[in-house]
Amino acid sequence: MNAIEIRNLTKNFGDKQALVGLNMTVPVGSIYGLIGENGSGKSTTEKIICGLIHPFGGSIRLFDKDYTDIDVRAKIGILIEAPGCFANYSVWNNLMLQAVNLGIKSAEQEIVRVLKMVRMEGAASNKYKNCSLGMKQRIGIAMALLGDPALLVLDEPINGLDADGMRIMREVLVNITGGGRCSVVISSHILGELEKIATHYGIVRGGKMLKEMTAGELEHGCRTYVALWTKEKDRAKALLSCKYSQVEEEEDNTLRVFDAKESEEIVTYLYENGILVSEIKTDKISLEEYYIDLMKEKESR
Amino acid sequence: MEIKFEHNRFGKRLKSMLAVDFRRMFTMRLFYIMAGICFVIPILILVMTTMMDGTVSIDPKTGTQTIVEGFDNTWQAIGTLRSDISVTTMDLTGMCNINMLYFFLAILVSIFVSDDFRSGYSKNLFAVRAKKSDYVISKLFVCFFAGIWMLLLFFAGAMLGGAIAGLPFDTGLAGMDGVVMCMLAKFFLVAVFVPIYLAVSVAAKQKTWLSMLGSFAAGMLLFPMVSMLTPLDSDIINVILCFVGGILFGAGLGAVSNLICNKTSLC
Repeated sequence: MNAIEIRNLTKNFGDKQALVGLNMTVPVGSIYGLIGENGSGKSTTEKIICGLIHPFGGSIRLFDKDYTDIDVRAKIGILIEAPGCFANYSVWNNLMLQAVNLGIKSAEQEIVRVLKMVRMEGAASNKYKNCSLGMKQRIGIAMALLGDPALLVLDEPINGLDADGMRIMREVLVNITGGGRCSVVISSHILGELEKIATHYGIVRGGKMLKEMTAGELEHGCRTYVALWTKEKDRAKALLSCKYSQVEEEEDNTLRVFDAKESEEIVTYLYENGILVSEIKTDKISLEEYYIDLMKEKESR
Repeated sequence: MEIKFEHNRFGKRLKSMLAVDFRRMFTMRLFYIMAGICFVIPILILVMTTMMDGTVSIDPKTGTQTIVEGFDNTWQAIGTLRSDISVTTMDLTGMCNINMLYFFLAILVSIFVSDDFRSGYSKNLFAVRAKKSDYVISKLFVCFFAGIWMLLLFFAGAMLGGAIAGLPFDTGLAGMDGVVMCMLAKFFLVAVFVPIYLAVSVAAKQKTWLSMLGSFAAGMLLFPMVSMLTPLDSDIINVILCFVGGILFGAGLGAVSNLICNKTSLC
């Protein structure tokens, strides 16, 4: 069973086609990273899943039921744009309103639990308007976690978080998805952070799902390369280009050789040609680089 | 820890929705400001206008005299006798009475509802609740009760103002029965105005200015009828008319609000 199954989803805003037959499959227990440039349709997709925007066409199933099903909808936690809190209310009272809305019987206990998860126990009595941006994001996460939802939909939740906040967020998401209890859809532009937690990815472009893959498939698809630094960069590049088909020079004066099997092979080759290598390492391209490459590839077609 | 939920039945859902909305309404600063205004305004009007004791203004060009009649009875702040009601003449006693409250209510409902959309609370709510009707019914009830409170406070303010100004409390032709019926009719009339304001506010969403402007404009259409429907010497027919009106407007425009919520995007 999948947590979300979307088929041929379409949505127009006036003349603009926001979604053009988007397909998406989120397995139960996964952390699904939704990636795409601004205006690609990520937020629209998330809002439709949450029932905040009505689609023109297509089908959406949540846990094998229609997304409008009243029981299924009660299992969703969301953080889309703003956390949905009243400025003059305390953090506690804001959470209490949502807990009552959800029909949670032991609301106090549940609020203590979610505040503990996002490390905000000490800020429960603070007025929401006096909280910092990072705190507000964490309150938004706490709000989404109320009632132990089976599906979390988070739109740019990492924005405004400091390093500690990001770490807490990672811990929370990894904890709640443990044992397949909860599935998470998370969109973010901070791909480096997303790469640390996501188990599945969906790359959206122009309202279509360009590619869906697991973290394992991404790992496999990300090419390895040898990065090296030398004082004679230009001569080294010319020499390496004769032997290897893909040698790239980066902005930080790094040379990247993509089709080299061993770094020792490069060091020996350059040494034999009178070039000393000051530093060398084998690495893989990041999600961000993979994404940029994919976008470039699609643009060139 | 196992989390227990209330049953997902209509009654339980409505109960939790009402609990949230009542809590919000009666902890909202705006409600107490509006309630304070409702209490203070009749006192100010009655005390200040009795000090004027009729004002004469003369047009320097034509020499025409215009006399603004002040209040000469406390009950004039609550309603006008059936025989004194004229749609064409709008004097001080006809304009500055308890009926003003229906406009104050427009401000309260507009801000109360648009706050839900501005803060993003409605997003959290509608994501977990597929039934928008829960929201509409709850808002209708809560705003109705808030309106009743405002009416009662205006009434109390008028009585206090009348006592301070030394105005008579003689009910005259209306009698105490008429006053009671008049107040009951005005209570039910709140149920006519609230659905109008709610429908406009739900359509305007986070645009408070639009919601307020629309509510005033829509309220203005019915406002001239208020004094005719609820005269000081009201009888049971007036009460029944207002009650039926309240039910019909509540159900009809409530359904319209529900439709707006269901058919339009919420962000």
